[in-house]
Amino acid sequence: MDNGSSVGRRFVLGGGVGLATLATMGMPTAARAAAVRGGRMVYARYADSLFLDPVLSDANVDIWVMNSIYDTLLMPTPEGIGVQEGLATKWVLGDGGKALTLTLREGVKFSDGTPLKASDVKWSLDRARNPKNGAWNEMIASIDAVEITDPSTVVLKLKHPDPTLLPALAMFNTGILPQAAFAAAPGATEDEKAKAFAEKPIGTGPFMLTEWQRGQRMLLKRNPHYWKKAPDGQPLPYLDELEFAIIPDDATRILKLKAGEIHGTEFVPYSRVKELQADKNLRMELWPSTRVAYLTLYVRDKLKNGQDNPLSNVKVRQALNYAVNKDAVIAITTLGLGKPLQSFMSSSTPLSRKDGPVYRYDPAKAKALLAEAGFANGLELSCIALAGNQDEMNNLTTVQQMWAQIGVRLKIELLDNPTRTARYRAEDFQMRTAAWTDDIADPSEITSYFAYYPNIHALHSGWEEKRVNELFLQSQQEVDPAKRQAQYAELQKIYVDAAPILFLYETPYPVAFRGNAKGFVQIPLGNNYFEAAYVEK
Amino acid sequence: MSRGAWLVSRLLQMVPTFLLIGLAVFVLARLLPGNAVMALLGDRGSDEAVARLTRQLGLDQSIGMQLLAFLESVLRGQFGTSLAFRIPVTRLIAERLPVTLMLTGMAIVIALALALPLAFVAALKVNRWPDLLIRGVFQVGLSSPIFYVGLVLLTVFAAWLRIFPVGGYGDTFAEHIYHLFLPAVTLAFSLSAIVMRNLRASILSVIRAEYVDFARAKGLRSRVVLLRHVLRNALIATVTLVGLHIGSLLGGAVITETVFAVPGVGRLMVDSIFARDYPVIQALTLVLAVLVSLAFLVTDLVQMWLDPRVGR
Repeated sequence: MDNGSSVGRRFVLGGGVGLATLATMGMPTAARAAAVRGGRMVYARYADSLFLDPVLSDANVDIWVMNSIYDTLLMPTPEGIGVQEGLATKWVLGDGGKALTLTLREGVKFSDGTPLKASDVKWSLDRARNPKNGAWNEMIASIDAVEITDPSTVVLKLKHPDPTLLPALAMFNTGILPQAAFAAAPGATEDEKAKAFAEKPIGTGPFMLTEWQRGQRMLLKRNPHYWKKAPDGQPLPYLDELEFAIIPDDATRILKLKAGEIHGTEFVPYSRVKELQADKNLRMELWPSTRVAYLTLYVRDKLKNGQDNPLSNVKVRQALNYAVNKDAVIAITTLGLGKPLQSFMSSSTPLSRKDGPVYRYDPAKAKALLAEAGFANGLELSCIALAGNQDEMNNLTTVQQMWAQIGVRLKIELLDNPTRTARYRAEDFQMRTAAWTDDIADPSEITSYFAYYPNIHALHSGWEEKRVNELFLQSQQEVDPAKRQAQYAELQKIYVDAAPILFLYETPYPVAFRGNAKGFVQIPLGNNYFEAAYVEK
Repeated sequence: MSRGAWLVSRLLQMVPTFLLIGLAVFVLARLLPGNAVMALLGDRGSDEAVARLTRQLGLDQSIGMQLLAFLESVLRGQFGTSLAFRIPVTRLIAERLPVTLMLTGMAIVIALALALPLAFVAALKVNRWPDLLIRGVFQVGLSSPIFYVGLVLLTVFAAWLRIFPVGGYGDTFAEHIYHLFLPAVTLAFSLSAIVMRNLRASILSVIRAEYVDFARAKGLRSRVVLLRHVLRNALIATVTLVGLHIGSLLGGAVITETVFAVPGVGRLMVDSIFARDYPVIQALTLVLAVLVSLAFLVTDLVQMWLDPRVGR
């Protein structure tokens, strides 16, 4: 999900959490230090969820917590690159990659006590792939039919081999819901039922939502029927209760953490990370993420208002990239917690290019390229940005000063979020601040938005390269991993050279906990896992 | 005109006011660039998704139709469904309004409890050290931004001394009071300064009035003179001032509620504007307008009681 909006300012990257935590997450077989059962953990979030329907919702505030309530057939591995068992224990590709046979886990129950049936799986997947439903049905558009061959086996018949299918079955939108409970929800239409169901959602996940005061808090209780076991053979989750406290103000969340009123908080501002690292009562965690920060460059010959657009010249775009000292931007905005980009996708995204940072700072080269493009005397550009977002302002003002060195004058236009989105969709901008996080452990999602023109005109930049479109379509059906890797290598090289964005940096997710609150995991896609979280007495 | 008839006419006068406010906010909300679909779908949704959600939310209908639907829902005492939260607006506001009312109420009580006695002390010791000290301290209150005062109080009383919680609202009535105390003090800060200065000035002018000299000359004890003659007359202007400030208190609640993580309507209003959640913006504006109007009415009633000449 794109989160260059109000979310963006609170993200960060850098070091990591001990590998031990990563390895134990979601892996009941791994050994872990004695966890404590029972009790409540309070975790502070900057904004409340809106709509807990995996198919119809589309905001990170929903996506990142829905895995506490709903399970998927497969689940992302903690490092976010592969998949592991979920509600399915076995998956076998057949028919030349055009059929996927899934064996369902025995004895799984929904939080209302009813057993998970193959028909629930079929109904949930059919609902998720219905083109009329939500923003995500494209992710599993390769499914032609879902067939139940016996009570514990579901076969997905595909239109074509699809290398993204397995990670897609681990994505939130393919969460499995109970068909009967959904049908029994009040309401005359599907939409009304979805609204009613999502208020008291029922899933097979570790927790169930029992109270929700919107904008204030969510209270989740442990699902007594949850199927996953801890290393000691006892059922997960450890916690009896998980409370999400909604606290929009960064400073207030941190004060509450220091005062011990909450156990953990998301989105610690970059500027506070060092301070919290030094606090002996707290533990600062920086989870590897797929978040990238960049500026979109509009590349068509004319702007929406009819003016000539110098950014249509690739040399100008390259010059702008060379003129920015990424390390300095990282030092100023993220206090050193970010890493320069090596591609348009994060280094945590599978198949991402890892040949070192792109466009190393070279002001002389930038000047020469500008002169070649016919702008030896400089030029004026404008950028739209999100008002009130400190990180975006830091990025832009730093870039503004660096560009001034090569004669580029940058005008900054601050907008609120809906205005900015409307201008973006209308392709009425020259440059635009943005950030992105992947929702699937595969490069296809980000590529379809950033590079593949037919989807959204390459981030509405208007940039189109036939070879990139071809490569993307081929890679979407390529089941040979080596060939797919080669396709992505070529595609990323073309993209980097054409520079339809200003490459900035990638950052980790900064979360902080009290010393006695342990076991939380955030995967690179952003999802929060509390199933193995616990609070020591 | 009898008191009853006066009250009825005052209430009737409010109706066109609310109609105008409703109409204005309806139009103004839609003049903002972008809409709820842009806020909800963000950068990601396909054109079809945008079209579908626009239809679902009824935003594809003409402005006239939308206005009719809005007016109809208001007359039925409902305000439609929140576009962002997808639950009835009335439920959303019913959950949040008591919180803000309690916060504002506590702020007024605290402001008066601080300002009334100190204004007396300052006026009676005019230009001597107690007066200078009180005025100096309140000058700081008057000139400090609310969010800053809030953060300082939080750091000192909640994070260091741990006397009060950092934020939230609690579950029981006693917890509500406990949780709202620091935010209410924050909100009361500038109001108490204004009230103190104003009341001090009125006391100084009243205290020199002939009827006060006369009361003293009658041999009344000075406490009786102060309470019955000085305070009562000096309060008239103060009551008006407090009444007029209820609107800005509700405005200040927006910031206070954010800093202290208090789930009131102020925060809801800000969130709704950023989400272009028209039904919530409209309903909240109307509810706040009604509250402010009622506060003005109460102000007038109190004034009548203090000064029987008013309203005749």
